[in-house]
Order: sequence, then C-alpha cells, then structure tokens
Amino acid sequence: MDKDRVVRFSGSARFAHWGHTVTFLVLLFTGLILFSPAVGRVLAPVFGGYVNASTIHKVMAVFFTIIPLIALVINFRGFLDWWKDVFSFGKNDIKFLMKFPLEFFGFKVDLPPQSKFNGGEKMNSVITTTSCVLLALSGYVMWFKDAFSPTLVQWAYPIHGICMILATCMVCMHAYLGSFHPGSGESFWGMWKGTVRSDWAAHHHAKWYEEVTKSQN
Amino acid sequence: MTKRMVFVDTSLCTGCKACSVACKAWNDLPAEKNQLITSYQAQASTTHNTWTYISMHEKYENGKMEWLMFKHQCYHCAEPSCMKACPAEAIYQTDSGYTIIDQNKCIGCGYCVANCPWGVPKTDPELKKTFKCTGCIDRVENGLLPACVATCQPGALHFGEPEEMKQIAEVRLAEVKKDFPKAQLYGDKAMGGTTYLYLLKEEPAFYGLPENPTTSASLVVWKDWVQPYGIWLIPIALGASAVSFVTTRIINSMSKSKGGDIHG
Repeated sequence: MDKDRVVRFSGSARFAHWGHTVTFLVLLFTGLILFSPAVGRVLAPVFGGYVNASTIHKVMAVFFTIIPLIALVINFRGFLDWWKDVFSFGKNDIKFLMKFPLEFFGFKVDLPPQSKFNGGEKMNSVITTTSCVLLALSGYVMWFKDAFSPTLVQWAYPIHGICMILATCMVCMHAYLGSFHPGSGESFWGMWKGTVRSDWAAHHHAKWYEEVTKSQN
Repeated sequence: MTKRMVFVDTSLCTGCKACSVACKAWNDLPAEKNQLITSYQAQASTTHNTWTYISMHEKYENGKMEWLMFKHQCYHCAEPSCMKACPAEAIYQTDSGYTIIDQNKCIGCGYCVANCPWGVPKTDPELKKTFKCTGCIDRVENGLLPACVATCQPGALHFGEPEEMKQIAEVRLAEVKKDFPKAQLYGDKAMGGTTYLYLLKEEPAFYGLPENPTTSASLVVWKDWVQPYGIWLIPIALGASAVSFVTTRIINSMSKSKGGDIHG
C-alpha cells in the first residue's frame, strides 16, 4: 500500500454510499412530483408522466432498501465500527459542532482532534440513517396500504415528507462539504478511491489516524 | 348552480338496492362478482365500479330482529380531505356542493383513498384512476334528479335546496325519534357539512360510521405545515452552501495574501 495514504472506506461502504447516492437522487426527484402539485407540473414530464415516475420510484425504492442490506451482510464488522464511533459522541464532538459553523463559512478555527468521524459526520450519520429507515418504512406502508391500519397509512404521508426534507438537507450540505468546500479536500477521495492522504488524515482525524498507524506498526 | 342537497332517510329504506343498480346503469359501471358477507349483504365497500351500495344491519331487541339500512356513497363534504390530499389537483368542488375527480388529471396515486374518513374513493388498478360517486353532477346540472334519487321506490331519497332538505329531515327526525330514541341526523357536522344528509335510527357507530369525522391531524401536519413551510429547509441548506462557497474563497484569498492558507 502507498505509504502516504491510509484506507478510510471499505469497498462495501463505498458501494452502499454511491448506491444510495444514485437511488436517493432518483427517488427524490420522482417523489417530489407527488409532494406538491406545483413541483409535479414541472417534474412529471421529465420522467414521462406521473405513472412512469411512480413506477421508477417504486423500482428505485427496492434498490434503496437492498443496497445497504447487502453492504451490511458483506461487511457487518465495518458497520459495527461505524456505529461504535458515531455513538462515542463526546466533548470533542460537541466542541467541533459549536465551532464548525465558523469553519463552514471559511473562518479559521482550532478544532479539537476528531475520531474517524467528526462531530458533524456523526450527526449526519444519525440523521440520514434515521430518515432513510423511516422513509423506507413509511414508503412501504403507503405502497401496500391495504395491509396496514388506515391511521398508520395516513401518518405515513407526513412522515415520508418530513424525512425527505431532513435527508435532502443533509445530502445538500454533505455533498457540498465533500466536494467544493475548500477545507474538506481529501474527504471525497476517501469515499471514491477508499484511501486518503496521510497528512490529511492526521490533520482532520487525528485520533483515528493515531489508531490506524498504531495498529499498523 | 346554487347549493343542492340529498336527504337520505334511512328509516324509509327497504334495502332493495335499486339505487345501486340505477347508479351502475347511468354511469355505465359493470356488475361485480361478490359473495355474501352477512345474511343479506354482498357488497363490503365501495369499489371503483360500485359507487353506491346498501349495508344491512341486524338489530336484536327483546327477541325481535329489525333491519337497519344505510346507503353508502361519496358524502360530498364541504371541506373534503380527498381534495386536500390530492397531489395532482385532480379533485375540485362545484358551486352546487359536489366533490368531483377530474379523470384527465387523476394519476391514481391513492392519496385520496387513504385520507377519506369513510374510505369512499377507490383506485382502478388497471386504469390507474380513482373513482367515486359523482353525485350525478351531469344529471343534476341539467335539471334531472341523481340516478339513485330518481329510482328510489320507498321515498327514502330526497333532492333539493339545502334549507328544504333540512326542514324535511327535522320533521322526519321528530317522527322517527318516537320509536327510535337514538335517532339522529348525520353529516351536517362532519367535514364542514356534507351534501348528503342522513337520518339514522341508531348512533353512527351502530352502522360502523365514524362519529364526527374532521380533517385528520396527519393531513394538517402534511399539507398545512410540512408542504408549505418545511420544504423551505432545502433551499436554506442549498443557500448556506452557496454562501459558504463564496465566503470560504474570499477569506482564503485574504489570508493567502497575508501568508496563511486554509488546509486542504
């Protein structure tokens, strides 16, 4: 392995990430058609009308559900490590979250050393994962509405909408931070190639980098 | 056309089902194969091909059995949940008080099906369109009675001005109450008031009807909060990213000229 690079994301994590990227975006735009009539008028023709859009939405929903489950089965260890880190939410993460808004807009701040996932990434993990699970569950309730109680079906609609909004907000910020935000440079390659520059890892995820180098020596 | 009303006097209904047949005849709806679900009733609910039917309820008291009838169809609410839930703006109301599905705009998504408090509209899985009673709007607005009203033999269905219908209903209620103390009018308080006003011999629950349906909390959250306001969180997130894209670069170039650099 390249001495200057460290492995950040396994193949299965990257498969789940990019699989969810594609399916989420298609689901978002086909779903927005039914979110409000104004959006529907503009977007429905793009997907060949309402009925086609709903078929695409359902097919994508199945892939959206299966992809993370496949990754989960292939690499359950990686999944556990991810959530162990997410839930080891400590003082450094809170400090990170408080100072990060300044860093987000370009001000130089001193951020405390972070583990594999920084405070913001931990929040992103919790919010997007919860939204995705609720989106899938409420989606299947609406899809197979005859199998569920009328009240549950009625609540599935606003829940699907709320989770769509939360997840989309996180996706917007996440996509920007992982690409065009000048402070994030290498993080995109971590998810694309699976590895990141060592000096970047040391700077952004000092605690994690320390662990990785220790286990390698 | 000014507001119209149908008064359904269930105390006079004999359960002959002629209304259901007349509805199918006028609206060109095919018969459906079904099975008995109680001693006399074979229709369990409205379907995309059956827009009105009679449910028959057996009441036992002091060793005697009595039939109680109820005519199901769209209630044509003043504040219809189906219309609020429709994402395609396919449902509209007429001045005459009817709630109509525009079949050209309907996309068969079933949102109205899930949100009608009585579960009236039904989606045709093949046509991918949702159907329900039209109130015979095509007859009514051309001076004819609705098909079900025109055919009703025992005179259980009345059609006319709302004030006139309410008067008839009050007179009938006073009479029926002598024998059925729980008799009551139904629909006048539901969903802003319905175009189909009922006289029931028992409380609504006896017929399996919701007591006093109103717009559900889930529909209010969805259509009055999430859809108009919640959605703005997305442009805010995008806007914040756009602002950051500019400010990070400005601050970066400023600190570069001073010799510093934001890490990459």
